[in-house]
Amino acid sequence: MQLTRRRLIGGAAAGGGLLVAWQLLERDHLPPLAPTAAEAQFGAWLKIDRQGVVTVAVPQLEMGQGITTLLAQIAAQELGADWRQVAVEPAPVSAAFANLPLAARWTPLRAPLVPELADAPGDALLRRWARTHTFTATAEGTSLAAYEGPCREAAAAARAMLCMAAAAQWDVRWEECEVGDGFVTHEDRRAGFGALAEDAARLDAPDPPPLRTEPPTDPTLAGEPSAFPRLDAPAKVDGSWLFAGDVRLPGMVHAAIRHGPLDRAELGTFDRAAAAQVSGLVGVVAGKRWLAAVATDWWSAEQALTVMAPHFRSYDPVQSARMTEALDAALARGEAQRVASAGAEEGPAGRPTLTQRYDIAPAAHGSVETASCTARLAGGRLELWLATQAPEQARIAVARALDVPLRHTVLYPMPAGGSFDRRLEHEHAIEAALIAREVGRPVQLTWSRWQEQLRLRPRPPAAITIAAHLAADGSLAGFAARIATPPAALEFGERLLGNRTSWSAREAVADRADPLACEGLLPPYRAAHASVDHVPVTLPLPAGRLRGNAHGITCFAVESFTDELARAAGREPLSFRIALLGDDPRLALCLQRVGRFASWDGGAPGSRQGLACHRMQLGPASGRIALVATVEPGAGPVRVTRLAASVEIGRVINRDIALQQIEGGLLYGLGLALGSGLEYQDGVVRQARLRDLDLPRLADCPQIGIDLIESTGPPFDPGELPLAPVAPAIANALFAASGRRLRALPLLSAPA
Amino acid sequence: MTDLVVNGRPLRFAMDPAAPLLWALRDAANLTGTKYGCGVGDCGACTVLVDGAALRSCLVSLADAEGREVVTIEGLSHDRSHPVQQALAAQGAIQCGFCTPGIALAAAALLARNPDPSPAEIGTAIPNLCRCGVYPRLIAAVQQAARVGRRAERVEGVPPPGIEPADAVRAVPALSQPRH
Repeated sequence: MQLTRRRLIGGAAAGGGLLVAWQLLERDHLPPLAPTAAEAQFGAWLKIDRQGVVTVAVPQLEMGQGITTLLAQIAAQELGADWRQVAVEPAPVSAAFANLPLAARWTPLRAPLVPELADAPGDALLRRWARTHTFTATAEGTSLAAYEGPCREAAAAARAMLCMAAAAQWDVRWEECEVGDGFVTHEDRRAGFGALAEDAARLDAPDPPPLRTEPPTDPTLAGEPSAFPRLDAPAKVDGSWLFAGDVRLPGMVHAAIRHGPLDRAELGTFDRAAAAQVSGLVGVVAGKRWLAAVATDWWSAEQALTVMAPHFRSYDPVQSARMTEALDAALARGEAQRVASAGAEEGPAGRPTLTQRYDIAPAAHGSVETASCTARLAGGRLELWLATQAPEQARIAVARALDVPLRHTVLYPMPAGGSFDRRLEHEHAIEAALIAREVGRPVQLTWSRWQEQLRLRPRPPAAITIAAHLAADGSLAGFAARIATPPAALEFGERLLGNRTSWSAREAVADRADPLACEGLLPPYRAAHASVDHVPVTLPLPAGRLRGNAHGITCFAVESFTDELARAAGREPLSFRIALLGDDPRLALCLQRVGRFASWDGGAPGSRQGLACHRMQLGPASGRIALVATVEPGAGPVRVTRLAASVEIGRVINRDIALQQIEGGLLYGLGLALGSGLEYQDGVVRQARLRDLDLPRLADCPQIGIDLIESTGPPFDPGELPLAPVAPAIANALFAASGRRLRALPLLSAPA
Repeated sequence: MTDLVVNGRPLRFAMDPAAPLLWALRDAANLTGTKYGCGVGDCGACTVLVDGAALRSCLVSLADAEGREVVTIEGLSHDRSHPVQQALAAQGAIQCGFCTPGIALAAAALLARNPDPSPAEIGTAIPNLCRCGVYPRLIAAVQQAARVGRRAERVEGVPPPGIEPADAVRAVPALSQPRH
């Protein structure tokens, strides 16, 4: 934590009470005055009102991962509050919430020409970029790394100021006061926060704030209900939790929309007159690349689109068959660039022990909520109600599209109905605002499921070969991976940070190696030589982000291959892995524990079990998982009966939320392993509805077991890690059970 | 004009009777707890009770609902007290919350006709899609709700909405009566 680069400011909240802002700005950039309520938007804050209600700002998108509760818990524990006095508010976009770990991770996405200049969270260039771009995105499991420290500091400052206010009343030293359960105490005296807040607001916060010696952890005893239950649960069980499509404004109308085939179609002819027969029709808005209908209810708007039967002119439409050819050609003959290596520069000569190829189809997010945005343009002011993982980038894109000054563009952060990185895209927000401008009324745009399927930017396809040399002593002499896939992370960066169209983004990154798109391909196993070569492929399909991103692709290849290699060497897959994990004893421990926890039977032919493991890293934090999948072989669809995982994710702040993320991540991995694949013909996706994605249902749900390993390491977000090993563990189990090796994702998507 | 009873109140909808009940509820009655996810019955996010049966409201036309009694998530209880609502929260079977209303109503319909369902019966009765992956907790939640419904257990999952400040002060020592 860089306390010297941050300063805490106390001040009066609206209506009396304490407001604590924390500033990520350098000292010479500090605003000279303590913030009033009106200035709170310049700082992240925590406020305490005269009743004692503690309100914590949440600068990240809540999409089910529980960040709303986690940040509030961090503040509550550091402060010493009673959980029942804690409230939350989604925070408006502000430079004070700059997400530095994510900015560091996405350095290649924004500054490809000077990659060495700004690659650490503490770096001044990085801070300047993140602040000037108001970069507060929610992605890549960076929330805790970015905000746990600032959240604790604000709470610690507030605690100190409350103590100072109490100490002045009691004429004691403030350092001798204690705070717990929502009270400041000193010997037999105690006072609630509400009674002290107003006095505390007049005091200066100590700098640096006195943090508690113990960082936040979950005090919940095994078998007891969570000490910090989710704050969003109550509103989610009675329908009162509002998503962007649930906003209702005076005079608001509903819009539906149609787009053309991927990726670059333009609107052609449509039968505008036919729409007149639709009751409730308010208007028709024709964009360059879309047609929208507006009505008093969404269904009538959708009916109007159907009867208008718009045609689109398409250019170079996406064809799955041609993408497969392009990946084949790239894998076989394309020019590769080395993106990662370990050990000796050159691998061993001679014929590898084993060479195999793995193919991954484009994958859909399958979020149940479709793209939705509510927009109002009135009096030169544009307001957006939107669920977005990158609010400032969305705000800028919409302001530019409508030529409205950014300072007159307001974004109200709404929660997402699942996202899985789908809400890193915001074209629907631009459309909603344009439609609102044309009809002159507040508009709520909701994409139909069909449009969501058509226009989602999938996890890109990939083709991977891995070749390995096993030495006579069983060690790994060489491991060489070659991956043909689009430079998807760079392409996404050009869209999000460069505000480019999808086709211009693809052109901008053509032929560029993309380490993030290949991440996870360098194995955790010790090898005398290991290398990852990327053949960047330009496809007509826009590549997007999806939960787990490259890890969901690469872990399938690496861990399927490791299984094949073990079998080729006549070794048992678990001990084979452990023997190669001399550089990562923590992952070896995960494997040992899952062996016991899952009653691993060795995975020999006839077994129904398969094994896979994976690790991920974010700055100083790392997460590890070892997973045993159990399958029920049969003639029908693959049936997975059990997923048992040993997981190590550092210090756990909220155990139940961590378990929810791990369970959900495993099931999301199951969806990616057995379904979620997309095929395109003439620019149109064949999987037009959710059913076509073959997603797991409650009745298909395997038994899930999680062995969460105690750890004191920096907290690692468990949202993405668990999904990576699911597909290879299932593929390995299917091989053990049936002798049939599946090397394509989704499994069973290609003839063996 | 189509007349039906929604959450105990008689309502008359001035809307195309061919419109799916989903959109009548969302866009005419502003009962937005009923969610749109697919429009073709794949996801179950729009599940409501029609004369006690859990139906996907995207597949029921307003005309088909004429004269029937519809219950949406807003009407399942007035204070989150339905055992299914309490158990879903108590078991942590809620993440993003988009599929939650449909799941709650599907589970409520199941328990109304089967007070002690087996895991297999729960799996069949709740075909709803949840992409956050609360499934492992859902069976436990519905079984807990069943026990609560049979008076075999008590559950405290979530507080009721709209707690008066004075009541909050009585329940939470750390809160004080606001000074005026």
